[in-house]
Amino acid sequence: MSPEQTFTALIADDEAPMRDLLRARLQAVWPELQIVAEAANGLQAVELGEQHKPDIAFLDIRMPGMSGIEAARQLYRHSQIVFATAYDQYALDAFQQGALDYLLKPVSAERLATTCARLRTRLEASRQPGPAAAAAPPQDIGQQLAQLTALLENKGKAAAEERPKNGYLRWIQAQVGASLRMVSTREVLFFQSDEKYTRVQTATSEFLIRKTLKELLDELDPDEFWRIHRSTLVRVDAIAEVSRDLRGRQMLRLKGHAGELEVSRNHSYLFQQM
Amino acid sequence: MRASQINHALDFVREAITEASKWWWRFFDWVAVVEWRRLFLTWFLVLLFFGMLNTPEPAVWYIFISFAVKVLAGGKRKAELVARDATVQANVATLERRLMEARMAALQAQVEPHFLFNTLALIGQLIETDPPEAARVHAHLIDYLRATLPQMRARDGGTLGKQVELSRAYLAIMQARMKERLRVRFTVPMFLHSAPFPPMMLQTLIENSIKHGLEPKIEGGTVTVRAQVVDATLQVEVCDDGVGIDPHADDGVGLANIRERLQLLYGSQAELVIATPPGGGACATIRLPYKMMEDA
Repeated sequence: MSPEQTFTALIADDEAPMRDLLRARLQAVWPELQIVAEAANGLQAVELGEQHKPDIAFLDIRMPGMSGIEAARQLYRHSQIVFATAYDQYALDAFQQGALDYLLKPVSAERLATTCARLRTRLEASRQPGPAAAAAPPQDIGQQLAQLTALLENKGKAAAEERPKNGYLRWIQAQVGASLRMVSTREVLFFQSDEKYTRVQTATSEFLIRKTLKELLDELDPDEFWRIHRSTLVRVDAIAEVSRDLRGRQMLRLKGHAGELEVSRNHSYLFQQM
Repeated sequence: MRASQINHALDFVREAITEASKWWWRFFDWVAVVEWRRLFLTWFLVLLFFGMLNTPEPAVWYIFISFAVKVLAGGKRKAELVARDATVQANVATLERRLMEARMAALQAQVEPHFLFNTLALIGQLIETDPPEAARVHAHLIDYLRATLPQMRARDGGTLGKQVELSRAYLAIMQARMKERLRVRFTVPMFLHSAPFPPMMLQTLIENSIKHGLEPKIEGGTVTVRAQVVDATLQVEVCDDGVGIDPHADDGVGLANIRERLQLLYGSQAELVIATPPGGGACATIRLPYKMMEDA
């Protein structure tokens, strides 16, 4: 084993002070390691990684352009991957399940020294001619990364209680003068079709959009909006009261709105007494 | 002996009168609010019943009295009852608002742990490499926490100036982290610094701009905070030239919280408007009635 062997590394983090910190720490615990490139986002990390083919890539997970995990899926063939993350319970859980290296930010010297010692052993072993290639077979890591991506996506979804159902339309875009008003679906009281336009009613204003009621029905969360009439979609949370008028029709009163909406007979089953 | 008997009798009569008057007013209220249809139905039934007994007089009296009550006092009494219901509802509404305020206070108190961890990590790093910068970021963090943590926050005195100060502290920290990727522009005239403005709204909008607009953008961008008075309305605008708004992305707790609080504080006189300008990015505007300073 020759002690003169030098290894190269890449650091990727969108925050410059974090790169500075990691570089300073690395120089302290592993002075022979050459930092050949620093990237400020995921795309740059992949580009520089392809160019320099470093032995090690330190990747921050949350980066603009491309996340550290996505970048790793392109880099793991040439480089040992070490992830860095500040505060992300889900990522930590995922790492502890797999065999991937990770660092907790801010990076402590002790922890970094342990990680570097392990990397060094692995890299030196892989440079030794012979069958003792200790580095994990790349296919294996590739698989783990794919699993990690899926795991993080799922856990992220399950964790965000506010948005358990992704993919539904959450903003209505209405042209007002030169700019596009973004009306949150939580502001909308009801949609009503009005010949070739659809009227969007909020507590304070009214907009016309070109999207038809049918299109809205397909894109909106069916638990958030109910169709109560051929020409009306109402936000369930905005309903204050259901009553019957003299002719026996069900009428809805809304919170924060003076008018009433008629429920057609076809949809009256929505408001049965419990 | 006799005196006590008389007293007994008087008591009984008094009780009977109270009871009768109670029942009478109960009947009165019922007649006042009952639908005519139902009243007609009771007339028919009463006529039928006393008719079978061959003594129609009580039925006639009943019809006459209830008709008179309904016609003469119905409208007024009904209005009174509706008013009483409305008062009860108003009380419930007040209570609901108090509850809501408590909940809002809890909501607006949240400091993102991610932000705190990152800032502390940054200070730790700067202590080694750039101590004066570390001291600056440290001071900004203290300003930020003082204004954000509920135990530290002053109950009142929510002025636009205070909110701008807090946001400057936050943005200075974010600039220390994002460096040249984050540029900041404030256009808030001095005379507006004393204008009342609810706490943590400007902050939420700026955090949104950075988190959803600029952080995901590789080259970063500019956050512009602008305040002006237009027709007695104070208009505070936070714009960024970031990645814009994904129509399928949730609008989050932050914006819903602002909307609800504006509604509670100003009713329909205030609004939060989100727009995407033609040049890209996103603009959030809070409009509320302009007052020069806090009422005494």
